[in-house]
Amino acid sequence: MSEELDLALAILDHQLLDCEGRRCGNVDDLAIEGGPGEGAEVVAILSGPGVWRSRSGWLGRLAAWVGGGGRVRVPWDEVAEVESHVRLKRKATDYGLGRGDDRLRPWIARIPGADR
Amino acid sequence: MKIFQIALGILAAIGGFVDIGDLVFNVAAGATFGYQLLWVIVVGVIGIIVYSEMCGRVAAVSGKAVFDTVRERAGFGAGLTTLVAAQIVTLMTLAAEVGGVAICLRLLSGLPYRWLILAAIVALGVIVWVVAFEWIERIFGYGGLCLLVFAVGAVKLHPDWGAVAHGYVPHLDTNDTLLYCYFAVGLLGAAMTPYEVYFYSSGGIEDGWTPKDLGLNRVNALIGYGLGGFLSFALMITGGALFLGQGIEPSSLGTIALGAGVPLGQIGLLLALVGILFAVGGASIDTLFSGAYNLAQFLGWEWGRYRTNAGAPRFTLTWMVMLVLALAIVMTGVDPVMLTEYAVIFSVVALPLTYLPILLVANDRAYMGRYVNGRLSNVLGVVYLVIILLVSLTAIPLMILTNVGQG
Repeated sequence: MSEELDLALAILDHQLLDCEGRRCGNVDDLAIEGGPGEGAEVVAILSGPGVWRSRSGWLGRLAAWVGGGGRVRVPWDEVAEVESHVRLKRKATDYGLGRGDDRLRPWIARIPGADR
Repeated sequence: MKIFQIALGILAAIGGFVDIGDLVFNVAAGATFGYQLLWVIVVGVIGIIVYSEMCGRVAAVSGKAVFDTVRERAGFGAGLTTLVAAQIVTLMTLAAEVGGVAICLRLLSGLPYRWLILAAIVALGVIVWVVAFEWIERIFGYGGLCLLVFAVGAVKLHPDWGAVAHGYVPHLDTNDTLLYCYFAVGLLGAAMTPYEVYFYSSGGIEDGWTPKDLGLNRVNALIGYGLGGFLSFALMITGGALFLGQGIEPSSLGTIALGAGVPLGQIGLLLALVGILFAVGGASIDTLFSGAYNLAQFLGWEWGRYRTNAGAPRFTLTWMVMLVLALAIVMTGVDPVMLTEYAVIFSVVALPLTYLPILLVANDRAYMGRYVNGRLSNVLGVVYLVIILLVSLTAIPLMILTNVGQG
């Protein structure tokens, strides 16, 4: 197994951080390419409830259904650094990550004291 | 001085050790078996200190709270199962604590219970919305120290100190072995309730801990949980001194406050009730935050009270929804003490899969570098994992066999 693949498998289920340190999802799965005889290569990080469908059988499918099924694909080149979290090169919104928080924010912000 | 910042440990411990279920359980254990079960508290305190120190260290060094590690190490499926169990326990406990707050307020004010439930929910919501995390820690952590009146009460009740000392040596002096085991397992399970580590580790991140704060983490774990254990001793001793052999089974917060009220009069009673109010209020805060931390960490959302309310929207919405659900549960009129006893059933599922990932990550040199577990932490960690497994396997059968401790 390539070193890169080792690294990628080690980050499964880890926290994603954008370039500003915002928590914007987890590494829910990985897209790996490569045919017989070639080296396997990680091409992208997959994140979002839609990805859970392929994990843990009916439990994952149920969770994906509850979660609404959205999924985001972040190309592997966008990974800036892998430490205890996985840091991305740009802002969450550039990838379409953290949309749930962004959609809800205006509603919470209407309540007095939301900036406390 | 930073070394005096021990409010987190005190709040986590007071909320975890002397919440409504434990208050009743400790005094009931004293009323049923005298001082025989004091040693179990010692076992529980050491266990929770070991694991709190470990998860606080992991949080300070790697920035990972407990449910980050659960997701990572248990994987999606097992992690999700743990999450569901943890959330059910946390919500049941939250509802019970809110009920406890309302009972305390009723004892202090004489107003109707259901209105006070509503008042408790609104007050909690406003406090969490408005007050910064470090002040929440201080208010509820230090407010709960009023419970120390039970230690004074325990001394003033002049217990047989020889028997008390004997209680610290494991022994069995009863015909009802099953009931004894039920209380022992219950006390251990309560001492190591999962939400204590959820709250403690996330609280360390809220407080901005880094590897420089590892000393602070150790002091918090030792003093916080040490104090929680000390209060449990005091409660059990008052239970034994007041109620043993009297045919009284203390099952309400009002009866428990007598442990300070009988030896110290009105002032003792008042301090006890105020202490209980802060302790169950603190436990409400522990469980409320824990529920929101767990979900956000498992799903990778932004979280924490160190963000603004609007800065972590789904985290904020989660605790709001939990408060509304808790309101609905307590309003049904369910007995809060019963509710915490049944919460034990679900915590059994969450216990092993909460503690094992902490132990695994604390041993991972890739994250922890030179702060990995030493030999002592690992030996104790493994021993307590075995104890936790035993508790998990025996809790439900013992509950059924003893009819929830009713004999």
